[in-house]
Amino acid sequence: MRRVFDSQLIGPFAAMLIVALIVALTTDRFLNPGNLSNLSLQVSIVALIAIGSSIVIFAAGIDLSAGSMVALLTMIFAQMLKFAGIPIFVALPAILLVGALLGFGLGIITAYGRIPSFITTLAALIAFRGLALTFNNGSPIFSLDPALETVFYGRLFGLPLPFFYLVFFYAMAAIVMNFSKLGREIYAVGGNPAAAVLTGINVKKVQAITFAIAGFMTAVGAILMSARLNSGSPNYGQTLELQAIAAAVVGGASLAGGRGNVLATLMGAMTIVIVQNGLNLNAAPSSVQNVVLGLIILLAVGIDMWRAEISRFLSRLRGGATKSAR
Amino acid sequence: MSANDSPLWEFVNISKAYPGVLANDKVCIRLMPGSIHGLLGENGCGKSTMIKTLSGVQQPDSGQILHKGQEVRIADPDDARRRGVATVFQEFSIVPTLSVGENIFLGNMPRNRLGLIDWKTVNDASARVLKKLDIELSPETITGTLSVGEQQLVEIAKAVAMDAEMVILDEPTAALGEHEIEQLHVLLRKMRAQGTSILYVSHRLDEVERIVDEVTILRSGKVVRESGETEINVSEIVAAMVGEDVSEHYPKENNSVDAVVFECQNLRTRSGVNGASFDLRKGEVLGLGGVLGSGRTEIAHAIFGVDKLTDGALLLNGKNIEIKNEMQAINAGFALVPENRKYDGLFFNFRASGNITAAALPRIARRGFLDLAAEAKGTERLMNELEISPQAEKKTVNFLSGGNQQKVVIARWLFSEANILIFDEPTQGIDIGAKIAVYKLMNALTRAGKSIILISSDHDELLAMSDRIAVVQHGHINRVVGAGELSHDDLVRASSHDDAGEARPATATARIQTNSNESLAAEAIQ
Repeated sequence: MRRVFDSQLIGPFAAMLIVALIVALTTDRFLNPGNLSNLSLQVSIVALIAIGSSIVIFAAGIDLSAGSMVALLTMIFAQMLKFAGIPIFVALPAILLVGALLGFGLGIITAYGRIPSFITTLAALIAFRGLALTFNNGSPIFSLDPALETVFYGRLFGLPLPFFYLVFFYAMAAIVMNFSKLGREIYAVGGNPAAAVLTGINVKKVQAITFAIAGFMTAVGAILMSARLNSGSPNYGQTLELQAIAAAVVGGASLAGGRGNVLATLMGAMTIVIVQNGLNLNAAPSSVQNVVLGLIILLAVGIDMWRAEISRFLSRLRGGATKSAR
Repeated sequence: MSANDSPLWEFVNISKAYPGVLANDKVCIRLMPGSIHGLLGENGCGKSTMIKTLSGVQQPDSGQILHKGQEVRIADPDDARRRGVATVFQEFSIVPTLSVGENIFLGNMPRNRLGLIDWKTVNDASARVLKKLDIELSPETITGTLSVGEQQLVEIAKAVAMDAEMVILDEPTAALGEHEIEQLHVLLRKMRAQGTSILYVSHRLDEVERIVDEVTILRSGKVVRESGETEINVSEIVAAMVGEDVSEHYPKENNSVDAVVFECQNLRTRSGVNGASFDLRKGEVLGLGGVLGSGRTEIAHAIFGVDKLTDGALLLNGKNIEIKNEMQAINAGFALVPENRKYDGLFFNFRASGNITAAALPRIARRGFLDLAAEAKGTERLMNELEISPQAEKKTVNFLSGGNQQKVVIARWLFSEANILIFDEPTQGIDIGAKIAVYKLMNALTRAGKSIILISSDHDELLAMSDRIAVVQHGHINRVVGAGELSHDDLVRASSHDDAGEARPATATARIQTNSNESLAAEAIQ
């Protein structure tokens, strides 16, 4: 837990490299600079949201509300910019605040209302999508603000801005999870809530905070989504929560809580996006993409569960090799 | 005991290796019908490996298993069951949401002609089994509502219901109080008389001495004493287990001074504390004696802010204090080593350091960030002091032995610099070496002027390690007496369900336990 770059990163990192290698072998377009820069744009939204999803999972919760919350927040954001005439530099922090508050609300209901987070956020998944439809008669809102597009498409030192968001937020998350009191408490709550209570940790407060973080990161994702298409829509963000959870799981986070590394989640998100990108470049239909995503999740969890068997198998292979060498 | 001298099961030169350890090294053991066979040894000596082999969970690497003289292979747990071997594992295999009857017939439900469960047979047959064993439970009770002790009895009834000839009990009394243990022993004696062979694994040597007919002692995977070789008395068993003569089984120091540091007045909670009052002196170990369910743990929870007080006062150094939650208790200098370290104590996702600092994070935090160097230093110091395995910092704590795990939990409260430590069953399920380490630690704590409230169902331990003992019954403290004035029998009687014992005063004429320092070894020689 104390080491930012610990052994938990090796597996997800290796998986990402292997997937990238396979994709690079199937198409030479994968490694061209345009595609790589496109890749960082593609991964940015899901990877930023996955920070929040992972932290909730570390505390043994689950957040299913992210995708719908993205839709709701893009609509509120669009409403502010287009119809309420609120300037962008006010609307941006306002959306972040709304996201954090919505998440905190879900956290309070979960922790103090003693309702499992699966249910709380499932209810929110349905309700937020409904709420998003109450704006602008349920129609998308386009052409919000020309300045908005720079938030997503802008570049710094030749690199796309979302790359810097990723670096910034993942660095923050890694610092909080590995070096702060809060991070330690989150892992403790996820590892053993009963023991956490008896060591004087305010378990309910910690749980509520994880959902507030998730709401905040969802708002960051929603802003990028709006900026990317310069619009808000009640249809945005479908299955985004599942992709974010998948990123955490592929990154090795245990859904039982307490185990996982936030940087590994980034690897998980990259792995998923590289696979999608590879299928795109090879002109695979989107139906195939979803099937493949499903298989990746199964495989990632399977590898974790069958770790003992795999290492036994490998050692037998090695033993066999030495025997035959003799 | 049966005159039949051909063994029911026999292990001949059974070996089993795991990566890096030879868990069983040419183990031989003979299990006779109508006999209770004790299997003893420290943690990691290979007891569990043997049990797993006999119950078909794993296959031995080499050696023979003989069943009634015939060589057999126990393919899997189901095969073991068919051959009449029933195993009651340390971790219950009871399904709490099902009824007692359903649990007894789990996996083996009687069906009627339509293929549906025949509830009448389930209930009648389980009632018969329960009656045969003198267990007063209704087959229709939901098992989760029973006490741990009663659940254990259900577990054994399950073994009896399948007509097992061989019953393996792995630490059956770890969670039981004296009364339940007595009940269990009566049951085992009855089964023995009916010809059942029983393999009994326990860390509670006092009780082993009472119940077993023969013992086999393992050390580092090898049999060091075969059945019949060792007379069944505690000092010899301990010596064989540890490999050296342990003269001081209970190395008690008297560090109590005449200054009250903490006082409970008339505590009441909804969880069953019923007007409990006592005081605690500096450097004292105050034992809470009583049966399971008498309210000892509840009193601990009331002090530690787990359960809300409905009435009563807590006085720390003469001043009234209010403890509304665990955090306030910890800040006031209290510590709780919980009864169940697995469920309430340890963070299995952390190494030793994360576990040790968990209750004192504010102490190593500056503006919300942890001083990891201070954490590493403090942890290392405590690990050396408590002789915790260095492995504890290389891997998460689930890889540690029970004794090391318990030391980690105790180290947590040394790190928090607690002054009043509540130890709830601190030596449950840990081996003799680790037990002695815990006792020595208690001495070191009291020597440093800290006070301990000790809850233990092991009466010998409670008598030997306490300065005074408060007898708890129905959430109320009947009386507080010097540990030396109380004998084992007094304690059993005073805390038993038999309310007549309550009025019985402690007298010096009761069977003499000369003083609480007396080592068990010495007692056994008498």
